[in-house]
Amino acid sequence: MSGKSEALNGQSAPRPAPGIGWNEIKAELIGFFASIKLAMFLFLIIAVAATIGTVIQQNERADVYIKEYGEEAYRWFLRLGWTDIYHTWYFTSLLALLCINSLTCFRQRFPAIWRSMHQDKVSIQLPFIKNLKQTAEIPVAGTKEGVAKGIVQYLAEKGYMVLAKNEPGEATLYATKGIMGRVGAHMAHLSATVIVTGGLIGSLYGFQEFGVCLEGQTYHIPKGSFDLRIDKFWIDYNENGSVKSYNSTLTVLEKGREMMNKTITVNDPLVYKGIWFYQSSYGDAWDQVDVARVNVKDKQTDKILQTVDLQWKKEATLDKLGLTVTLTDFVADFGFNSAEKKVYSKSVEHENPAIKLAMAERTKKSALEATPWIFYHYPDLFDIPGSRYRFELVGYQPRKFTGLQIAKDPGVNIVWVGSTMIVVGIALSSFIYHRRLWFKVIPGKDGVTVHLGGTTHKNQIDFNKEFRKLTEKIRTISV
Amino acid sequence: MLRSLFLFDMTFWLYLAAFTLYIAYVFVRKPALQLAAAGHPGAFTTEGDNGWAVQIGQVATIVTVFGWMMNTAALFTRAFERMQHSGTFAPWSNQFEAMAYVSWAIILGYVLLEFRYRIKTIGAFVVGIGFIAMGAASLLPYRYQTADPLVPALNSYWIYIHVSVTLTSYAAFAMAGGLGLMYLVRERAERRGQQSRLLAVLPDLETIDELGYKAIMFGFPMLAFGVILGAMWANYAWGGYWSWDPKETWSLIVWLIYGAYIHARMTRGWEGRRAAIYAVFGFLMVIFCFWGVNFLLSGLHAYA
Repeated sequence: MSGKSEALNGQSAPRPAPGIGWNEIKAELIGFFASIKLAMFLFLIIAVAATIGTVIQQNERADVYIKEYGEEAYRWFLRLGWTDIYHTWYFTSLLALLCINSLTCFRQRFPAIWRSMHQDKVSIQLPFIKNLKQTAEIPVAGTKEGVAKGIVQYLAEKGYMVLAKNEPGEATLYATKGIMGRVGAHMAHLSATVIVTGGLIGSLYGFQEFGVCLEGQTYHIPKGSFDLRIDKFWIDYNENGSVKSYNSTLTVLEKGREMMNKTITVNDPLVYKGIWFYQSSYGDAWDQVDVARVNVKDKQTDKILQTVDLQWKKEATLDKLGLTVTLTDFVADFGFNSAEKKVYSKSVEHENPAIKLAMAERTKKSALEATPWIFYHYPDLFDIPGSRYRFELVGYQPRKFTGLQIAKDPGVNIVWVGSTMIVVGIALSSFIYHRRLWFKVIPGKDGVTVHLGGTTHKNQIDFNKEFRKLTEKIRTISV
Repeated sequence: MLRSLFLFDMTFWLYLAAFTLYIAYVFVRKPALQLAAAGHPGAFTTEGDNGWAVQIGQVATIVTVFGWMMNTAALFTRAFERMQHSGTFAPWSNQFEAMAYVSWAIILGYVLLEFRYRIKTIGAFVVGIGFIAMGAASLLPYRYQTADPLVPALNSYWIYIHVSVTLTSYAAFAMAGGLGLMYLVRERAERRGQQSRLLAVLPDLETIDELGYKAIMFGFPMLAFGVILGAMWANYAWGGYWSWDPKETWSLIVWLIYGAYIHARMTRGWEGRRAAIYAVFGFLMVIFCFWGVNFLLSGLHAYA
């Protein structure tokens, strides 16, 4: 109850004279922006927008949407920003409005709470007590001072802060507990802005990149002006064959000097100069293999003459056959750019793997050099003119790449501050509730009458219990 | 066959028995002689049970507590099994275990509520939800119920706290949903006229309303804490504290829904019936966040 009356204070302040001036408009605006209704509206509308973002997949390729929803719907999605709803102007505006809302509310209501912690609340009249939600009237045998003292003692034991005023005809007491519940609510209100600020700083000054790295290579990190060497990448397996963890040993190099060395794994990143390196994924490289197994066949008889394992870019000499062969290239998904006359991998999937050999043949019947592509799925596709041999790609071991997420977020600590505020704030306001009690001890014919009343802004049920206990306690105070 | 599965099974049957007993209790119970005076919601009717009602009520409580102990034992057993097979002991590492943990938390919450407020009729609703959660868990295919090793992303000490805190908040919201339903049942009975037996048997509206509110007031900060812990974990595992993954977005949605509720409670007219309907609605959203997202939407939490 009192929550409401205090909440309304700002609006029901005496407004002078008719006519709409700046002050009236300002009051209206502040009233609107501080209102609980706006907060509820924002909470729900943000929830609805967020729901849309989970039902419709975000940041997909156009054809994914067209396939699922049709072209017309996709056009609407683009117009409404539904393919990336969390970064639309309206979603951002909603978050901004939520910040304005909570800040205005804080500005509007917190000062009153702050003041009430120090205010004199004992100058009240009897009817005020009688109008409170919980009231009682108890005749007690004893003196005014004695009874008042007993009550004060009991309340102090219960953790109440008590103010007392002793006047000739009556004693007045005011007791309060749990103001932190209200302070907590406002702490939570402030946290919204803190978190959004942290997020904003992160999106302005931070970055997120994905790096596909190969063992043994050194990569330059331009945003940190240092180098990163991938010393090792490996996968650990469980007994049942599922992946247990995957790990990369990384070395940070600055001007050639080793600055830091760490083995990262999922859930354990390396942090250097504010840049975080996460073990994010792994996979088969699409442009390199460690080793490829090749059958050398006689073109005429189709008999396998020799099987050889070719190491990446290492020359192999087959003396018996008069051959030298080098594995020079690999693509996982063969594609040919006819304009540039270039072979490339159409995707990272191993859809149509092919290797390129550099071979030199010196036999009695033939002498030639060639650089044929050998296809895993189409062994007979290309013939090497003039050669005695045909090559067949039997298998290969792709090199594993390690996928590193590289990120910097200077706003993250601010987000953690805001997070702490929101959790502590909400916990305070949920578990602690503000209670206020007023007493008047008025001497009568035999003994005194204690008039008491109390109010809470929530948790009526426990407060009622407490109030009942209190009245019983006062009854037994007598002596 | 894992030993814990047998214990989970036993838990299921015990919860079923408890639920049935609470229902029986509601029907056998004689209307209390002294109803609380209007306007004094705090003054509970001392449950004026006699004969059958007392005994059924007592047995219901005993069976519930026993079921909860069985549930605890099952979770502990599962924790040991996980230790052996999967390098973690968190017995809430997959959908099945999470469900079993939620029903554990719901029943614990209910038992505490019963001991504190001494209103057994709530059991017919809240123990019912705990039973349904356990039942839904046991309906999951066997491959969901095993203690397989965790995928690398889950293999972290964060799983102990992030998951348990979030699931506890779900349990609180489940409780609020059950109480909301109870409110609506009684409110309907009231509108039907004073003769209804339910009216005299169930606690008064204001009490149900306040208890439901309390449950949400417990769940709300828990969920906030759980989501923040998730963000911290994500910052270690995924390379960013927030990535709008369906699961995290849905937990935010649920949090916003209850945030709106908590603000609404501060304004007039949002107690009682509306709040009860809202609590039921909120619980449905929690169910979607917990189940729907896993089975209907794809995302980084898909393994949960």
